[in-house]
Amino acid sequence: MDQLKQELKEALIQALNLEDITAEEIVDEEPLFGDGLGLDSIDALEIILILERNYGIRLTKPEEAREIFYSIDTLADFIDKNRKK
Amino acid sequence: MDSYSVYIQSVASIYPEGEPVEGRFSINEPDYKEWIKEAGSRRRMSRIVKMGVTAGLQCLQNMAVKPEAIITATGLGCLADTEKFLQSIGSLNEELLSPTPFIQSTFNTIGAQIALLSDNKAYNSTYVHRAFSFESALLDGMMQLQTGNADSVLVGAVEELTPTVFYILERMGAWRKFPAGEGTSFFLLGNEKTHQTVARIVAVDMQRGNFSKDQLTQKRSDLLRRNGVSDARIVSEEMFKPICGEYQTASSFGLWYACTQLNGNGFVLITNSWLNNYTAVVIEKFTKE
Repeated sequence: MDQLKQELKEALIQALNLEDITAEEIVDEEPLFGDGLGLDSIDALEIILILERNYGIRLTKPEEAREIFYSIDTLADFIDKNRKK
Repeated sequence: MDSYSVYIQSVASIYPEGEPVEGRFSINEPDYKEWIKEAGSRRRMSRIVKMGVTAGLQCLQNMAVKPEAIITATGLGCLADTEKFLQSIGSLNEELLSPTPFIQSTFNTIGAQIALLSDNKAYNSTYVHRAFSFESALLDGMMQLQTGNADSVLVGAVEELTPTVFYILERMGAWRKFPAGEGTSFFLLGNEKTHQTVARIVAVDMQRGNFSKDQLTQKRSDLLRRNGVSDARIVSEEMFKPICGEYQTASSFGLWYACTQLNGNGFVLITNSWLNNYTAVVIEKFTKE
Protein backbone atom coordinates (compact mmCIF):
# COMPACT_ATOMS: atom_id res chain seq x y z
CA MET A 1 0.00 0.00 0.00
CA ASP A 2 2.86 2.39 0.82
CA GLN A 3 4.33 1.77 -2.60
CA LEU A 4 0.98 2.51 -4.22
CA LYS A 5 0.68 5.78 -2.30
CA GLN A 6 4.17 6.82 -3.33
CA GLU A 7 3.42 5.95 -6.96
CA LEU A 8 0.18 7.92 -6.78
CA LYS A 9 1.85 10.99 -5.33
CA GLU A 10 4.48 10.94 -8.06
CA ALA A 11 1.79 10.56 -10.74
CA LEU A 12 -0.12 13.52 -9.28
CA ILE A 13 2.98 15.71 -9.13
CA GLN A 14 3.76 14.97 -12.75
CA ALA A 15 0.24 15.18 -14.19
CA LEU A 16 -0.80 18.25 -12.19
CA ASN A 17 2.57 19.99 -12.56
CA LEU A 18 2.84 20.53 -8.82
CA GLU A 19 6.07 22.48 -8.94
CA ASP A 20 7.96 22.89 -5.66
CA ILE A 21 6.11 19.97 -4.04
CA THR A 22 7.77 16.64 -3.34
CA ALA A 23 6.01 13.33 -2.73
CA GLU A 24 7.17 13.46 0.91
CA GLU A 25 5.34 16.76 1.41
CA ILE A 26 1.96 15.34 0.43
CA VAL A 27 0.38 14.09 3.63
CA ASP A 28 -1.58 10.85 3.15
CA GLU A 29 -4.62 11.83 5.21
CA GLU A 30 -4.87 15.52 4.28
CA PRO A 31 -7.50 16.74 1.78
CA LEU A 32 -6.36 16.98 -1.84
CA PHE A 33 -8.95 19.59 -2.76
CA GLY A 34 -9.73 22.94 -1.15
CA ASP A 35 -7.69 23.61 1.95
CA GLY A 36 -5.16 20.81 1.61
CA LEU A 37 -3.24 20.55 -1.62
CA GLY A 38 -5.57 23.11 -3.20
CA LEU A 39 -6.58 21.09 -6.24
CA ASP A 40 -9.60 22.07 -8.34
CA SER A 41 -12.09 20.63 -10.82
CA ILE A 42 -9.62 20.47 -13.73
CA ASP A 43 -7.28 18.49 -11.47
CA ALA A 44 -10.17 16.12 -10.75
CA LEU A 45 -10.37 15.41 -14.49
CA GLU A 46 -6.64 14.70 -14.55
CA ILE A 47 -7.02 12.28 -11.60
CA ILE A 48 -9.83 10.48 -13.44
CA LEU A 49 -7.42 10.03 -16.35
CA ILE A 50 -4.69 8.70 -14.03
CA LEU A 51 -7.13 6.12 -12.63
CA GLU A 52 -8.13 4.96 -16.09
CA ARG A 53 -4.72 5.06 -17.76
CA ASN A 54 -2.59 3.65 -14.95
CA TYR A 55 -4.98 1.33 -13.13
CA GLY A 56 -7.72 0.56 -15.66
CA ILE A 57 -10.39 2.00 -13.36
CA ARG A 58 -13.36 3.81 -14.88
CA LEU A 59 -15.42 5.83 -12.43
CA THR A 60 -19.02 4.81 -12.95
CA LYS A 61 -20.58 6.68 -10.04
CA PRO A 62 -19.50 10.34 -10.19
CA GLU A 63 -21.37 11.03 -6.93
CA GLU A 64 -18.77 8.93 -5.12
CA ALA A 65 -15.86 10.95 -6.49
CA ARG A 66 -15.86 13.47 -3.63
CA GLU A 67 -15.30 10.69 -1.11
CA ILE A 68 -12.80 8.76 -3.22
CA PHE A 69 -10.75 11.85 -4.12
CA TYR A 70 -10.65 13.19 -0.57
CA SER A 71 -7.04 12.24 0.21
CA ILE A 72 -4.17 10.02 -0.87
CA ASP A 73 -5.40 7.48 1.70
CA THR A 74 -8.92 7.28 0.25
CA LEU A 75 -7.68 7.30 -3.32
CA ALA A 76 -5.11 4.55 -2.71
CA ASP A 77 -7.72 2.47 -0.89
CA PHE A 78 -10.13 2.80 -3.82
CA ILE A 79 -7.41 1.90 -6.34
CA ASP A 80 -6.30 -1.09 -4.28
CA LYS A 81 -9.84 -2.49 -4.23
CA ASN A 82 -10.72 -1.77 -7.87
CA ARG A 83 -7.58 -1.85 -9.96
CA LYS A 84 -7.57 -3.91 -13.15
CA LYS A 85 -3.89 -3.47 -13.89
CA MET B 1 -1.87 66.80 -28.70
CA ASP B 2 -4.98 66.07 -30.74
CA SER B 3 -7.78 63.63 -30.08
CA TYR B 4 -6.20 61.07 -32.41
CA SER B 5 -2.76 60.96 -30.81
CA VAL B 6 -1.68 57.65 -29.31
CA TYR B 7 1.14 57.60 -26.81
CA ILE B 8 3.27 54.77 -25.47
CA GLN B 9 3.32 55.23 -21.71
CA SER B 10 5.20 52.14 -20.63
CA VAL B 11 7.09 49.26 -22.25
CA ALA B 12 8.31 45.84 -21.16
CA SER B 13 10.05 43.01 -22.95
CA ILE B 14 11.42 39.57 -22.22
CA TYR B 15 13.94 38.68 -24.89
CA PRO B 16 17.05 36.58 -25.46
CA GLU B 17 20.11 37.95 -23.75
CA GLY B 18 23.04 36.13 -25.24
CA GLU B 19 24.23 34.43 -28.37
CA PRO B 20 22.13 31.91 -30.31
CA VAL B 21 22.93 28.27 -29.68
CA GLU B 22 22.74 25.98 -32.74
CA GLY B 23 20.95 28.67 -34.74
CA ARG B 24 18.32 29.54 -32.18
CA PHE B 25 17.84 32.11 -29.48
CA SER B 26 16.12 31.40 -26.16
CA ILE B 27 14.69 34.05 -23.88
CA ASN B 28 16.37 34.93 -20.64
CA GLU B 29 13.65 33.69 -18.27
CA PRO B 30 12.83 35.89 -15.31
CA ASP B 31 11.74 34.54 -11.92
CA TYR B 32 8.09 33.96 -12.78
CA LYS B 33 7.16 33.47 -9.12
CA GLU B 34 7.78 37.13 -8.56
CA TRP B 35 5.05 38.05 -11.06
CA ILE B 36 2.66 35.12 -10.99
CA LYS B 37 2.53 34.57 -7.28
CA GLU B 38 -0.21 31.96 -7.05
CA ALA B 39 1.35 28.52 -7.53
CA GLY B 40 -2.05 27.15 -8.59
CA SER B 41 -2.18 29.50 -11.58
CA ARG B 42 1.48 29.19 -12.43
CA ARG B 43 1.65 25.41 -12.55
CA ARG B 44 -0.77 25.14 -15.47
CA MET B 45 0.98 27.78 -17.54
CA SER B 46 3.42 26.79 -20.23
CA ARG B 47 6.54 28.84 -20.91
CA ILE B 48 4.91 31.15 -23.48
CA VAL B 49 2.01 31.91 -21.15
CA LYS B 50 4.32 32.67 -18.24
CA MET B 51 6.55 34.92 -20.33
CA GLY B 52 3.65 36.81 -21.90
CA VAL B 53 1.79 37.27 -18.65
CA THR B 54 4.96 38.40 -16.89
CA ALA B 55 5.80 40.97 -19.58
CA GLY B 56 2.22 42.25 -19.52
CA LEU B 57 2.28 42.64 -15.75
CA GLN B 58 5.74 44.25 -15.89
CA CYS B 59 4.38 46.80 -18.36
CA LEU B 60 1.53 47.67 -15.99
CA GLN B 61 3.83 47.90 -12.98
CA ASN B 62 4.01 51.39 -11.46
CA MET B 63 1.34 52.69 -13.84
CA ALA B 64 -1.59 54.37 -12.17
CA VAL B 65 -4.11 53.32 -14.82
CA LYS B 66 -5.99 50.10 -15.32
CA PRO B 67 -6.16 49.33 -19.05
CA GLU B 68 -9.61 49.46 -20.61
CA ALA B 69 -8.56 46.98 -23.25
CA ILE B 70 -6.04 44.14 -23.35
CA ILE B 71 -4.98 43.19 -26.86
CA THR B 72 -2.45 40.46 -27.55
CA ALA B 73 -0.85 39.17 -30.71
CA THR B 74 0.86 35.95 -31.67
CA GLY B 75 1.87 34.42 -34.95
CA LEU B 76 1.76 30.80 -33.88
CA GLY B 77 0.37 30.85 -30.34
CA CYS B 78 0.99 28.40 -27.51
CA LEU B 79 2.91 25.85 -29.52
CA ALA B 80 4.33 23.71 -26.71
CA ASP B 81 0.84 22.99 -25.34
CA THR B 82 -0.55 22.47 -28.85
CA GLU B 83 2.22 19.99 -29.65
CA LYS B 84 1.70 18.21 -26.33
CA PHE B 85 -2.02 17.88 -26.97
CA LEU B 86 -1.58 16.71 -30.58
CA GLN B 87 1.08 14.20 -29.60
CA SER B 88 -1.16 12.78 -26.87
CA ILE B 89 -3.95 12.31 -29.44
CA GLY B 90 -1.59 9.98 -31.29
CA SER B 91 0.06 8.25 -28.37
CA LEU B 92 -3.20 7.67 -26.47
CA ASN B 93 -5.15 6.64 -29.54
CA GLU B 94 -7.51 9.65 -29.31
CA GLU B 95 -8.69 8.59 -25.85
CA LEU B 96 -8.18 9.83 -22.29
CA LEU B 97 -6.69 13.16 -23.31
CA SER B 98 -5.44 15.48 -20.60
CA PRO B 99 -7.56 18.67 -20.52
CA THR B 100 -4.84 21.11 -19.38
CA PRO B 101 -2.71 21.39 -22.56
CA PHE B 102 -5.90 21.75 -24.60
CA ILE B 103 -7.25 24.51 -22.38
CA GLN B 104 -3.94 26.34 -22.34
CA SER B 105 -3.17 25.93 -26.04
CA THR B 106 -5.70 28.47 -27.27
CA PHE B 107 -4.27 31.68 -28.72
CA ASN B 108 -6.05 33.96 -26.27
CA THR B 109 -4.70 32.28 -23.12
CA ILE B 110 -2.13 35.01 -22.50
CA GLY B 111 -4.54 37.93 -22.77
CA ALA B 112 -7.04 36.06 -20.63
CA GLN B 113 -4.49 35.25 -17.93
CA ILE B 114 -3.31 38.88 -17.78
CA ALA B 115 -6.95 39.91 -17.33
CA LEU B 116 -7.52 37.29 -14.61
CA LEU B 117 -4.37 38.17 -12.69
CA SER B 118 -4.95 41.92 -12.89
CA ASP B 119 -8.68 41.59 -12.21
CA ASN B 120 -9.53 43.25 -15.51
CA LYS B 121 -12.92 42.61 -17.13
CA ALA B 122 -12.46 45.04 -20.02
CA TYR B 123 -12.29 44.37 -23.78
CA ASN B 124 -9.93 41.48 -24.41
CA SER B 125 -8.88 40.40 -27.87
CA THR B 126 -6.12 38.40 -29.57
CA TYR B 127 -4.83 38.75 -33.12
CA VAL B 128 -3.36 35.74 -34.89
CA HIS B 129 -2.47 37.18 -38.28
CA ARG B 130 0.93 35.60 -38.83
CA ALA B 131 3.50 38.35 -39.48
CA PHE B 132 0.82 41.05 -39.23
CA SER B 133 -0.37 39.94 -35.79
CA PHE B 134 1.39 42.60 -33.74
CA GLU B 135 0.58 45.46 -36.13
CA SER B 136 -3.08 44.37 -36.20
CA ALA B 137 -3.19 44.41 -32.40
CA LEU B 138 -1.49 47.79 -32.37
CA LEU B 139 -4.02 49.20 -34.84
CA ASP B 140 -6.90 47.84 -32.75
CA GLY B 141 -5.38 49.44 -29.66
CA MET B 142 -5.02 52.75 -31.45
CA MET B 143 -8.61 52.62 -32.65
CA GLN B 144 -9.86 51.79 -29.14
CA LEU B 145 -8.24 55.03 -28.00
CA GLN B 146 -9.17 57.13 -31.02
CA THR B 147 -12.83 56.15 -30.93
CA GLY B 148 -13.06 56.87 -27.22
CA ASN B 149 -13.72 53.25 -26.22
CA ALA B 150 -10.71 53.33 -23.92
CA ASP B 151 -8.30 55.78 -22.33
CA SER B 152 -5.55 53.24 -21.88
CA VAL B 153 -4.83 49.99 -23.69
CA LEU B 154 -2.34 47.20 -23.09
CA VAL B 155 -0.98 45.82 -26.36
CA GLY B 156 1.60 43.07 -26.64
CA ALA B 157 2.96 40.23 -28.69
CA VAL B 158 4.36 36.88 -27.68
CA GLU B 159 6.03 34.01 -29.50
CA GLU B 160 7.77 30.85 -28.39
CA LEU B 161 10.20 28.64 -30.26
CA THR B 162 9.88 24.88 -29.91
CA PRO B 163 12.13 22.22 -31.46
CA THR B 164 9.30 21.19 -33.79
CA VAL B 165 8.59 24.65 -35.15
CA PHE B 166 12.32 25.31 -35.44
CA TYR B 167 12.66 22.23 -37.63
CA ILE B 168 9.57 22.88 -39.76
CA LEU B 169 10.27 26.56 -40.40
CA GLU B 170 13.93 25.82 -41.06
CA ARG B 171 12.82 23.65 -43.97
CA MET B 172 10.78 26.62 -45.25
CA GLY B 173 13.88 28.81 -45.10
CA ALA B 174 12.57 31.07 -42.35
CA TRP B 175 15.91 31.30 -40.57
CA ARG B 176 18.07 32.15 -43.60
CA LYS B 177 18.56 35.80 -42.70
CA PHE B 178 18.57 35.61 -38.90
CA PRO B 179 18.72 32.88 -36.25
CA ALA B 180 15.38 31.63 -34.97
CA GLY B 181 14.12 33.61 -31.99
CA GLU B 182 11.34 34.14 -29.51
CA GLY B 183 10.19 36.70 -27.00
CA THR B 184 7.46 39.01 -25.83
CA SER B 185 7.03 42.79 -25.75
CA PHE B 186 4.18 44.80 -24.24
CA PHE B 187 3.17 48.46 -24.53
CA LEU B 188 0.74 50.49 -22.48
CA LEU B 189 -0.92 52.98 -24.79
CA GLY B 190 -2.75 56.12 -23.74
CA ASN B 191 -4.30 59.20 -25.31
CA GLU B 192 -2.53 61.82 -23.22
CA LYS B 193 1.10 62.78 -23.02
CA THR B 194 2.42 62.52 -19.47
CA HIS B 195 5.81 62.73 -17.77
CA GLN B 196 6.08 58.94 -18.27
CA THR B 197 5.36 58.98 -22.00
CA VAL B 198 8.00 57.22 -24.07
CA ALA B 199 6.81 57.93 -27.62
CA ARG B 200 3.89 58.82 -29.84
CA ILE B 201 2.75 56.34 -32.47
CA VAL B 202 2.58 58.17 -35.78
CA ALA B 203 1.72 55.40 -38.25
CA VAL B 204 1.47 51.64 -38.73
CA ASP B 205 1.81 50.04 -42.14
CA MET B 206 1.42 46.48 -43.45
CA GLN B 207 2.26 45.38 -46.99
CA ARG B 208 2.22 41.93 -48.54
CA GLY B 209 3.86 41.15 -51.87
CA ASN B 210 7.03 40.37 -53.73
CA PHE B 211 8.57 43.86 -53.54
CA SER B 212 12.01 44.91 -54.73
CA LYS B 213 14.30 46.83 -52.39
CA ASP B 214 13.60 50.03 -54.32
CA GLN B 215 9.84 49.51 -54.10
CA LEU B 216 10.07 49.03 -50.35
CA THR B 217 12.20 52.13 -49.94
CA GLN B 218 9.61 54.08 -51.94
CA LYS B 219 6.74 52.70 -49.87
CA ARG B 220 8.47 53.71 -46.65
CA SER B 221 9.27 57.19 -47.98
CA ASP B 222 5.61 57.55 -48.93
CA LEU B 223 4.55 56.43 -45.46
CA LEU B 224 6.71 59.10 -43.84
CA ARG B 225 5.56 61.78 -46.29
CA ARG B 226 1.87 60.93 -45.82
CA ASN B 227 2.33 61.42 -42.09
CA GLY B 228 4.21 64.70 -42.39
CA VAL B 229 7.55 63.27 -41.30
CA SER B 230 10.46 64.71 -43.26
CA ASP B 231 13.29 63.02 -41.40
CA ALA B 232 13.37 59.81 -39.37
CA ARG B 233 16.01 57.53 -37.99
CA ILE B 234 15.60 53.97 -39.14
CA VAL B 235 15.52 50.91 -36.91
CA SER B 236 15.74 48.06 -39.38
CA GLU B 237 15.49 44.36 -38.66
CA GLU B 238 19.27 44.20 -39.13
CA MET B 239 19.52 46.19 -35.91
CA PHE B 240 17.16 44.29 -33.65
CA LYS B 241 16.96 40.73 -34.96
CA PRO B 242 20.59 39.93 -34.10
CA ILE B 243 19.32 40.40 -30.51
CA CYS B 244 15.86 38.81 -30.53
CA GLY B 245 16.12 36.48 -33.51
CA GLU B 246 13.53 35.86 -36.21
CA TYR B 247 9.90 35.26 -35.34
CA GLN B 248 6.52 36.33 -36.63
CA THR B 249 5.96 39.09 -34.10
CA ALA B 250 9.59 40.24 -33.86
CA SER B 251 8.50 43.74 -34.90
CA SER B 252 7.15 44.17 -31.36
CA PHE B 253 10.70 43.78 -30.11
CA GLY B 254 11.77 46.29 -32.80
CA LEU B 255 9.33 48.81 -31.34
CA TRP B 256 10.58 48.07 -27.82
CA TYR B 257 14.16 48.47 -29.09
CA ALA B 258 13.37 51.86 -30.67
CA CYS B 259 11.63 53.03 -27.48
CA THR B 260 14.36 51.98 -25.09
CA GLN B 261 17.69 51.62 -26.85
CA LEU B 262 17.86 54.76 -28.98
CA ASN B 263 19.08 57.98 -27.45
CA GLY B 264 17.46 61.36 -27.97
CA ASN B 265 14.19 62.59 -29.43
CA GLY B 266 12.73 62.53 -32.88
CA PHE B 267 10.97 60.40 -35.42
CA VAL B 268 11.92 56.74 -35.83
CA LEU B 269 10.85 54.36 -38.60
CA ILE B 270 10.91 50.70 -37.48
CA THR B 271 10.88 48.25 -40.37
CA ASN B 272 10.40 44.51 -40.40
CA SER B 273 9.85 41.64 -42.79
CA TRP B 274 8.79 38.00 -42.61
CA LEU B 275 8.90 36.14 -45.92
CA ASN B 276 6.77 38.39 -48.21
CA ASN B 277 5.18 40.38 -45.40
CA TYR B 278 6.52 43.85 -44.69
CA THR B 279 5.59 46.07 -41.78
CA ALA B 280 6.60 49.52 -40.63
CA VAL B 281 5.82 51.55 -37.52
CA VAL B 282 6.62 55.24 -37.22
CA ILE B 283 7.00 56.76 -33.77
CA GLU B 284 8.00 60.10 -32.38
CA LYS B 285 10.32 59.32 -29.53
CA PHE B 286 10.47 61.52 -26.44
CA THR B 287 13.02 61.87 -23.73
CA LYS B 288 11.30 61.34 -20.38
CA GLU B 289 10.72 64.61 -18.53
